[in-house]
Amino acid sequence: MSAATKQGFARVQELYQDRTQRIKELKEEGKKIIGYLCIYPVTEIMTALDLVPYRVLGDMREPITKADAYLPSVVCPFLRSCLDLGLKGKYEFLDGVVTSHICDVGSSLSGIWRYTVKTPFHYNIDTPHTTHDTSLNQIKGVLKAYQTAMENFAGKKITNAKLKKAIILHNEQRALARELYELKKQDPPLVSGAETLKIIKVIQSIPVVEGNALLREVISEARTRKNKPAKKNARLLVWGSILDDTPLIEMIESLDANVVIDDTCVGSRPFFDDVKITPDLIDGLAQHYLVDIKCPRTFRARDFYAVKKNYLEDLKTRFSYLSDYAREWKANGVILQSVRYCDTHGYEVPQVRDYLKEIDLPGIYLEHDYTVGGLAPLKTRVQGFLEIIE
Amino acid sequence: MTQEVKTRPLNRLKSMYALRAEVDKMYQAGGEAEAEGKPVAWVMLEGWANAILNAMDIITVFPENYSSLCAAQKLAGPFLERAETEGYPTHLCGYARACVGYSARMVELNGQIPPEAPAGGMPRPMLLVASGEVCDARFKWFQSLGRYFDAPVWTLESPSPNARESLTPGTYERNTQFLVNEIKQFVIFLEKLTGKKMEWDKLLFTGDGTNKINRLRWDINQLRKARPSPMHTRDFWSVMSAALYRGAADPTVIVEGNQKMYDEVKYRVDHGIAGINRPEKYRMSFEGLAPWHSLSFLDSLADRGWNFVCESAYSPGRPFKVDLSSVTDPVERYVRKRYRSLASVIEQEFEPEEASEVKEEIMREGSSNRLRLRHIREYQCDGVVLHVLLSCRSASSGLTLFADQLLDMYKVPSLIIEGDIIDTSLFNPVEAMKKAEAFEDTMDHYKKVRKDLGFEW
Ligand code: SF4
Ligand code: SF4
Repeated sequence: MSAATKQGFARVQELYQDRTQRIKELKEEGKKIIGYLCIYPVTEIMTALDLVPYRVLGDMREPITKADAYLPSVVCPFLRSCLDLGLKGKYEFLDGVVTSHICDVGSSLSGIWRYTVKTPFHYNIDTPHTTHDTSLNQIKGVLKAYQTAMENFAGKKITNAKLKKAIILHNEQRALARELYELKKQDPPLVSGAETLKIIKVIQSIPVVEGNALLREVISEARTRKNKPAKKNARLLVWGSILDDTPLIEMIESLDANVVIDDTCVGSRPFFDDVKITPDLIDGLAQHYLVDIKCPRTFRARDFYAVKKNYLEDLKTRFSYLSDYAREWKANGVILQSVRYCDTHGYEVPQVRDYLKEIDLPGIYLEHDYTVGGLAPLKTRVQGFLEIIE
Repeated sequence: MTQEVKTRPLNRLKSMYALRAEVDKMYQAGGEAEAEGKPVAWVMLEGWANAILNAMDIITVFPENYSSLCAAQKLAGPFLERAETEGYPTHLCGYARACVGYSARMVELNGQIPPEAPAGGMPRPMLLVASGEVCDARFKWFQSLGRYFDAPVWTLESPSPNARESLTPGTYERNTQFLVNEIKQFVIFLEKLTGKKMEWDKLLFTGDGTNKINRLRWDINQLRKARPSPMHTRDFWSVMSAALYRGAADPTVIVEGNQKMYDEVKYRVDHGIAGINRPEKYRMSFEGLAPWHSLSFLDSLADRGWNFVCESAYSPGRPFKVDLSSVTDPVERYVRKRYRSLASVIEQEFEPEEASEVKEEIMREGSSNRLRLRHIREYQCDGVVLHVLLSCRSASSGLTLFADQLLDMYKVPSLIIEGDIIDTSLFNPVEAMKKAEAFEDTMDHYKKVRKDLGFEW
């Protein structure tokens, strides 16, 4: 067990400052650690095999110096940063890396990582692009093959009972994360946007059971602590590509705004839907990982067989959850943000903006280059945006 | 003293012109189809949809190709600017942004083709066929065109396993079934859309035509291994559209055009005639997508003796035979004739012993340098131009690693040129030429290194 003495927010801060701390202890205890990129690798299968999932993230505070040799600068700097850290030995404690077809370059990073960083085990899940019935059928086969590969790596089989237990544990984490987000419905929110990001980042860096315990501590502390966020004029929804550190949110929250809800992947995205327990457990996992997670990397539509497209209906099908978020969390503005060179989010931006116009919610789009310094010029734009929010 | 006759640097193939004209016909057919009220689909380049759509009498046009045509005629700029004002980030695929700008103009003109559009323009689509192959733009771009058209979008799924997973038992069969099922659903959708029934014989006929074209393109490319190489990359690019973006054109016409090209290239090989009108000093490969707006840059390089003898994009796959005697389902026949397992590709490309080494390498390393770099060895290239594109990650992301592996394995150096497929402002020809001139010393150096190490070239 962990020798952690700190609890709740203090423990979050400690692990946020060194998120490898706990994982290295576990490694010394003989646990096998599996890095996973993005939220599509099925972590339940790792947990069921007693492998510890550890989210691979970049570091926007560290200049990219080694990855240039393998990934040109036209590639998403988040991916370049991940590879850079790998090349600098900062992921050397990993026993394996699981990637998926999150985006085209994300998928090819698997091969480049294997070739350059040389983590012993690798697997790439070929997640289909649409939610067609055929794709759902396909991903079931893909996940079964992935399960077999992981079993071979771990040297044991997953029993139905073990997988079910793992799904329940991960669902518990999803429920706790939602409970955490419930606290942000209050005005002022009980947890700030920057704190939320830290908490999510930290629970993706420790085993799920420990993450759940930590979430419980944080939730109970947030309810009673005195130093909660101040009341601000703007309650914002932040949408977009990966944000794996706090500078952008901190910049926003240093102004007259609280980030009360997000649609990002070190945020609410992996947690807002549970995995259904189905007779064949892979069916529930397939549905969750292909259909339920709402990320622009998947082409979703209400009816693929409709012979005429109704743009407004299409927008509603794809983005009405954003309107639900805005209503439930009383958000009065949206910050759309994306790291430069992210294509899946880039094409989505004009459409999300169309939808926001439709539901009469002001929004602004910020593109950044995944550096802290690059955020400075955006502050004036956010300030200007906040002025129009009532 | 003999007087030097200055000919054009490139020795263009005569048979190229007729094939290139077929592409213009494709756009013409699009325009006529609209006038006659025939359904038109905008299609992403991929392996399956065109023949299916044509078999259902749907006329196909290819925005990806149309954008490159706009760029080649230096007419893409205003469309790109329009996409920017529509709120599309400037790092997105240049083809996509030009198409978005075009679509926005079309909406402004109540569905009419913008008068500034070259080659007669693309008619308004009744269907958009996106693809799961190659890049994210191929489906995200068409999805976002919902802003401009009420045409439905079908994304034709396609498996994209990485090399190692491809070699895992079961993957090929699962992916074949995925393609079969996906195409069947696509056909059901098309039947609903058009109110027509699919004519399977027509599909198999067109599919066979595609296979014949592929074979000829493959055979032509094999001839390019000769010294001097008889066909330059610019000719390859000029005619690839007729094969890959041929729309509803009769495949037999394209087959004939390619047969003529094969004959001409063969004649050149037999008579030692090169694809450039200068001594072939450097044999080159072009890796990445073409700088459509600045193709004459390659002519300037040809003037210095650079003969581009192969290229990474749009290359035909090696033809293969498959026993379909027990397969009666037309879709499955269609798929199995063209979809190959990675294992069988390796087995055909290499001798048995080397094939198992390549497979082992993939299982160990995740990919195989020998597989990835084999065209450089086969075409005996002295250097490689890597075209890193600001707006296309799929064609650019692997290039730096490629350069690294190539130098390491075959001692062939690479010249990195940054630019774009569409946007002229991102390419600096003067600077690129300076780099190219300096690169000749590097190529000369590595020629010696290869010789010292006993390489074949
Ligand atoms: S941010 Fe975008 S480009 Fe980068 S890994 Fe994620 S989906 Fe891919
Ligand atoms: S491969 Fe590149 S250039 Fe081609 S459509 Fe995709 S993003 Fe655009």
